[in-house]
Amino acid sequence: MNDARLYRVLKKFADVRPDEVRPALFLFFQFFLITFTFYIIKAVKESFVIGVNPAWWPFADLITAVLIGFVIAFNARLLARLPRRKYASSTLIFFASNLVFFWFVFWLNTPQKTFPISSLLPLAQLSYVPFVFIFSLWSDIFIAMSVTQFWIGVSDFFNPHQAKRIIGFLVTGGLLGGIGGSLLTSRLAHLINPVNLILVCPVILMLMLFLVNLLHKERETTRAGSEAYQPRPGAGIGYLESFRAVLGDRYLRILAGVLASAMVIGQLVKYQFNFMVKAQGWDNSTQTSFLATFFLAILVLSTVFHLATTGQVLKKFGIRLALLIAPSVLLLGSLAVFLIPVSGLLVWACLIRGSERAFDTTISQSVRELLYIPVPADIKYKAKMFIDMFVNKFGAGLGAALYFLCYHALFFATYQQPGSNIGVPIRDLGILVVGFTLIWIILVWIIYAEYLGAVKRDLLRKWQDAHGVVKQHVDMDVTRLIFDTVQSREKSSTLYVMNLFQLVKREKLTPELMEILDYQENEMKARSMDALLDVGGEAFFRGVGETLSDKEFEVQVGEIMALDSFKLVMGKRLAEITGKKTATEVERMEAARLIGQMEPSPDIYHPLEDLLRDPSPDVLNYALGSAAVHLRKEHVPLIIPLLGNPMNRQVAQDALEAYGPRIEDVLRKHLQDAGERLEVRQAIPEVLARIGDQKAADVLTGELGRGEEELEQELIDALYKIRSSAPKVRFKPAKIKAAILSLIRRNYEALLAEGDGRAEGEGRSVSGPNMKAVLDLRTKRIFDLLALIHPSEDIVKAYQNILQGSKKSGDYSLELLDNILDRDLKTYLSPLIEDLPPDERIRRLKKLAGGLGQARP
Amino acid sequence: MDIKTRDYIVADGNNNVIIFDIDGEIRRSDMTDATLHQLVKAQLERGRRDFLLNFEKVEFVDSFGVGEILASYISISNLGGKLKLVRISKRLYLIFQVTNLIRILSIYEDEAAALESFGKP
Repeated sequence: MNDARLYRVLKKFADVRPDEVRPALFLFFQFFLITFTFYIIKAVKESFVIGVNPAWWPFADLITAVLIGFVIAFNARLLARLPRRKYASSTLIFFASNLVFFWFVFWLNTPQKTFPISSLLPLAQLSYVPFVFIFSLWSDIFIAMSVTQFWIGVSDFFNPHQAKRIIGFLVTGGLLGGIGGSLLTSRLAHLINPVNLILVCPVILMLMLFLVNLLHKERETTRAGSEAYQPRPGAGIGYLESFRAVLGDRYLRILAGVLASAMVIGQLVKYQFNFMVKAQGWDNSTQTSFLATFFLAILVLSTVFHLATTGQVLKKFGIRLALLIAPSVLLLGSLAVFLIPVSGLLVWACLIRGSERAFDTTISQSVRELLYIPVPADIKYKAKMFIDMFVNKFGAGLGAALYFLCYHALFFATYQQPGSNIGVPIRDLGILVVGFTLIWIILVWIIYAEYLGAVKRDLLRKWQDAHGVVKQHVDMDVTRLIFDTVQSREKSSTLYVMNLFQLVKREKLTPELMEILDYQENEMKARSMDALLDVGGEAFFRGVGETLSDKEFEVQVGEIMALDSFKLVMGKRLAEITGKKTATEVERMEAARLIGQMEPSPDIYHPLEDLLRDPSPDVLNYALGSAAVHLRKEHVPLIIPLLGNPMNRQVAQDALEAYGPRIEDVLRKHLQDAGERLEVRQAIPEVLARIGDQKAADVLTGELGRGEEELEQELIDALYKIRSSAPKVRFKPAKIKAAILSLIRRNYEALLAEGDGRAEGEGRSVSGPNMKAVLDLRTKRIFDLLALIHPSEDIVKAYQNILQGSKKSGDYSLELLDNILDRDLKTYLSPLIEDLPPDERIRRLKKLAGGLGQARP
Repeated sequence: MDIKTRDYIVADGNNNVIIFDIDGEIRRSDMTDATLHQLVKAQLERGRRDFLLNFEKVEFVDSFGVGEILASYISISNLGGKLKLVRISKRLYLIFQVTNLIRILSIYEDEAAALESFGKP
């Protein structure tokens, strides 16, 4: 089957992309064979262990917990020194030969044996119990190493977001393998002695050897493989190094705690279950068959549960809920043991262990692996090995130690005595389970917060918010004043000097600026302020530089302006200009500028009204500046129409901003007035954004809810500005979400229309080359709105990295969004922002379009 | 003020730069049909993201003009694009220096160097 056909088949079962098909299939079958083998060994091993005295049970787990560290250290050296392919092959051959040996030892203990070397028989019988423990240890090593190898393979091939999509498919492979292994064991346990089942496993391992070699061949030929982490030649990942990696990282320490808690609980629940199985008094074949059937039932239920819910839970509810499901159910189940009669305890034990195992192999396993994703690759290798093999066994060992203590301290053994019953040890262990489940829940809460933090740490801003950058570096008022000053020098010495005064007053006349202004010092000297004043111009005949740098001059300016004579002269000059019907544009500019420097008085308000109606944009520029000084209510109706004039819009916005919250109602009316000029309405949101209080945000949000597309960009820009400048302002989530869904809906319609070969809507020019641009702009608006109701820095980083980041950072962004957006938003947004093949995108849009139409904020 | 546009196709073909050749003064009194910011926004709506403003024939910029340049810078940057200026006069450069505008606007003396810089991170 070629790759294209494989893809078509596989995409029916998994959310894969064409280039992921082969590695996904190989890893699926690898996991299938691992669990197939393991579930044969597991049933046989557990039956052997249950067969020994309950007082010895914890020793099997304690031996594993103590010795596995040494095996890990050895395995780490092997992994670091051997090429990955050689390592995988040699370990599989080693495990297969071990199994043949174990079969031989246990076969010597079977009554049906016809072994010719009868001299070995007493030795084998003498060492049966130790060999049960050794076999138990070996099986733990086998599964831990095999599964670690498998997940390392997953990390090598897939990045976090890919892994999240594919992980459900891979886990299904594991579940199906377990079902196959358990089914085979449950059927054959009665037909052949359970010991002989061990011999099936080496055959499967040889199949796995073939598969692993195919996988490594694939890895060597793909780019993903070449990009994947490779240990440096000679760089050993020792036990201590692995230990330090976990110890030195808070996130990994908590993760280890989560896993250890789960293991302790799993161990204690297992002992509860084993007590109940042993109490039935079955023979080895029946016991093995029962255990295999039990595992089969768990796995079938797990598979159904997994296929029906794991992906959905992760997709719709995110990691936190997925992490909390297992401990919550186990907590409730463990509390139930105190209410159930003894006769119902076997069923209860099957249910509680069944739940524990089912969660462990489905949601918990998927989520646990996802929790490693934000860990840097080199640390992940070290930490994963330590946590999977050592911490897990530590948890199991701790569970065993607690059992050992309870068995002796709480006299579990007394259940066999007259007057006592099996419920005693089961309920005593139940108390411990409840305690550790609570610890587990607390740690889950903590790790979720850390997980998000770790994902965010890997996302960097691609660019800063341009409003913020401008605000940080440039004082816009002063900049405009400087440009006006330079411009006014060419028009009128009066204007020039008034602007200079303003600069002096604002202490913005830096030596550098004076250098520019000194450029025309002579011209300045010649004209000075003679046209305006005659108050002894001595000061103005000095060089601009030396004059304006003089602190005394600044004081003089203030004193002159405060003089009654100055005000009188100014007033006369103003009356002269405004009274003249033939006043030139420059004279009107001077008058408009002058008003801003005069004391408030009714004498200046009327002339200012006239000047606010002036046809010259330069006059209006100064008139608006003066209006912003006096802030008269009667001037507002004159200023608002100027918002529609691009030449004066910015200054009109500045002037209205100066009025502040008291004009919000007026602005709202104009904003909502459909009869108002569109240009005016479009300029109002910026003014409200600059006022930036709660009421402004509410007005803007309300207007956004009215769904006028012509105002949409301005409204969203304004809301986003408020979000940046006033973090305390709150936005109504329902209205914002409605606006987001509306934008998403329009992008769906556009893409689906394009998919059907139609343009979006009739008469709209968004087909063809403009389509992508329109969609991109809407996507930007969606993210700007998302930033209003979610942590804005996270949303901005996610947007920027999806737009311009690497594949890895784009996937991390999607992962972050998956965890912070609500179910509707992430469901409907994801097909628009994920990197999907066009046909797949259309398929998903069609699937979701119906629901989107009915989605309610 | 008159603005003519040219396209510059960069080597990778994905990141074409639109060049605005500005002729005249960017100031209130010299406004034509559309402002600089309106022209930039129209190009952004067509998906363009990288802009070069050629100031070779610009004699003066007033407070309105500088507002237009900054508004264009904000609109372009917030969509992940770049705005650069080339061949601005010494006088204008000095004012840009004093007002700190050179800290946010990338200014080049030579058009080739400016265009080449768009391909760099």
